[in-house]
Amino acid sequence: MTQSDDMDRGFERMFSDFEHAQEQVPSSLKARLYSALVREQQASGPLASLDFSVAAGHGICVFEKLVQIAPIGEKAKSPFFCAVCHARVLAENLENAPIFWPNCPYVAFKNS
Amino acid sequence: MQETQDQMRQPEVTNLPVADERGLISGVLAKDRKATAEFVGRCADWVYPYVVGRLIPRTEIVEDLMQEILLSAWQNLPNFRGDASLQAWILGIARHKVQDYYRKRIHEELQDDEESSPGPAELPRFDLQLDIAAQQQRVQRTLVLLPEAYGLALLWRYRDEKSAREMAELTGKTEKAMERLLARARDCFRRSWNDTER
Repeated sequence: MTQSDDMDRGFERMFSDFEHAQEQVPSSLKARLYSALVREQQASGPLASLDFSVAAGHGICVFEKLVQIAPIGEKAKSPFFCAVCHARVLAENLENAPIFWPNCPYVAFKNS
Repeated sequence: MQETQDQMRQPEVTNLPVADERGLISGVLAKDRKATAEFVGRCADWVYPYVVGRLIPRTEIVEDLMQEILLSAWQNLPNFRGDASLQAWILGIARHKVQDYYRKRIHEELQDDEESSPGPAELPRFDLQLDIAAQQQRVQRTLVLLPEAYGLALLWRYRDEKSAREMAELTGKTEKAMERLLARARDCFRRSWNDTER
């Protein structure tokens, strides 16, 4: 066994212990990732309508519900409404943001 | 034996039921914002521990890399065939992105440094009395003190168990240059390790 092999083994042993480290994702990071991905989706065309989400079995938040039942065309119901919601701003910038209403994805990130 | 070591290095995979996975993917491809939220939540949970572990202690780059991984997953999702689980697939993307980051940073470090002499081949004096948690903390404190490329080279070599030859091939440098970089990184680590004792 050479000194170089010995040194390699010492370093390998020391660095392998990191394998056991478990990290939980900050909810604010999930919130920022989600906003970025939806913006990317929007860049290539409209999002699915809120009716589509409901038909797929997802719940929608109180603000989205207002949009869903509004007498406006389908196209007007497809933007990323969370972009103008204070829940998004809070969730992207705070851990355990004070947001609580049901079916808000940002609340779900906080609780995950 | 090598196969067993490779398996040990892979993050733990906990698959979604196939029907759930297919439903989630078709929802994301249809740009359903709610399915996308679930996708982001799950993918972030799978990928984050892997990425953080590979970039310790420089976590400032984690968010950028996570975003790159998720955007790449979204762009390539139409090509996902379901041969492997979604989790295994996205961890594959994460591995490539992390490796790309290592490759670029180490390549930059080696640009100006081709002719430097190797550092002394001296064994670090690791404290065998430290328990695992204390040792991890001290390794992290030590890595903070190192130039970024040195820390990444050590993680790539000793955590991902890449050989100097593989690292050289991936960075487009000679094996000799990579060995010199590793020698300097180890020497710097050894000196900084002793500094963290004080």
